Amino acid sequence: MQITERKIDDFKSDRKDIAPPLPVVLRLVPLLFYCSIAVAVILSSVFAIQFQMAVQKRDSHKASTDSLSSQTQDARNERAALESQIKKATDTQSWVASSRPLQPLLVEITRSMGPRSSIVDLRLDRETDNPSQIKMGLRMNADSTKQLDLTVEKIAGLNYRAFSPTQTLGRGELDYKATLVHQDPLRQQNEEAQQ
Amino acid sequence: MKSIDLKSILNFSAFRPEPDDPSASWKKRFPAEKTVFFGLGRGVLTWRGISRSGNPGDLEIVRAEPKEILSQSAEHIKSLTEQGWCAISLNTRYVISLETNLSRRTGSEEMLKTNARGVLGGRYERGKRYALTHNPETNSSILLTFDEDQTRKTEALFSEAGFRVGRVCCGAYLLLKHALAQTNTVKGSEQPVSTFYIVCCEGAVCALVQDQDRWLELRSRTDVYEEDFTPITDLLAPFHSRLSPDIGITLVCDEPMDGLEDRLAKVFPNRGITDLSQPALLATLMIQN
Repeated sequence: MQITERKIDDFKSDRKDIAPPLPVVLRLVPLLFYCSIAVAVILSSVFAIQFQMAVQKRDSHKASTDSLSSQTQDARNERAALESQIKKATDTQSWVASSRPLQPLLVEITRSMGPRSSIVDLRLDRETDNPSQIKMGLRMNADSTKQLDLTVEKIAGLNYRAFSPTQTLGRGELDYKATLVHQDPLRQQNEEAQQ
Repeated sequence: MKSIDLKSILNFSAFRPEPDDPSASWKKRFPAEKTVFFGLGRGVLTWRGISRSGNPGDLEIVRAEPKEILSQSAEHIKSLTEQGWCAISLNTRYVISLETNLSRRTGSEEMLKTNARGVLGGRYERGKRYALTHNPETNSSILLTFDEDQTRKTEALFSEAGFRVGRVCCGAYLLLKHALAQTNTVKGSEQPVSTFYIVCCEGAVCALVQDQDRWLELRSRTDVYEEDFTPITDLLAPFHSRLSPDIGITLVCDEPMDGLEDRLAKVFPNRGITDLSQPALLATLMIQN
């Protein structure tokens, strides 16, 4: 004989509205709810940490950009100062180059005169804005243009180049006008070598 | 859906049986809650706290009218619980009898609550509550009968004291079923069991003679003993002459009773005694089932 011990016989007055427990499968509902809360908390924490890191990174980049901008501005200022100094130096160099003494030019023009030629009037004007250019006006008594060619050749021998030359011959006088610009022979050689 | 329903889902209580659902075991109803078990006898009330982990505490016994005890000590006893849930073992004013030819249709034991007349036939009495245990090999059955009014009064007594009654049962009947289940373990009639069951539960005594799987005689008395075992032996002594010589004794008590086995050995000489008693056995059975 086998008698199985089953549930206890309960004599308590039964309550009519006793509901059976929900199926075990439905435990997934609160479990998923708690899991979703946990995941949300974890993700929120991760996002918050990443947000903080991004803000720090942004601030760092911003500070770096500001620093670089400041450095760039300083460099620009320095460059502007250097360019200003270079311009001043260039102007000074140009002025120095252009303000070479006119005495050798005068001497060479005077010595180029032949026995039957004489200088009536010689004018050398240096422009204020562009002192390297010398406006020359020469009026001389000469019976031919050979004298003028000789004089121009002497001037060229001093490394002066004549621009816009005009010459007028009348009543035994030759009037010659040109703009003289001094050419640095070393610079010319360098430019030719580069070409 | 009410907020309380939502709360019960989120704290998983909706997936557990309700506290007063008789179809569920005590352990499932109160998985992590302190409760208390009462034993109600005539002029005696015992109680034992059950911890959250389901371990029975120490037994306390007060011999006085239960109503007075509850009026004086209810607060102290309630402190053993969390929400006042309790189970009650009625150890008095019940009848356990041996019946034959009761209906064994499927679900008849469950039908006892709704239509006891259909199961018990002519043995049915109005105003009673019943429980049945059938002998699978014979047509005999053990019938437990409680007075319905008395049960309701007991529930009201504890409810008025501030307790919430989760179960009302009969300790002696429960121990008898436990002893039957422990000894009758082989299906079929090939290995018949013969023994004399003696059940003692907080003053109540029940004796059942089983010979070759047949239940021959049953005697049940409540409020038999207190400290002295003599009323027990006096009640059981007449069985000695009626028992077959080879029948042993199976003793089961709600608590181990020192000296009872020796006293029984004197009343039933030359019979082997198997003692199934364990500390807090009744409370353990009530927790597990």
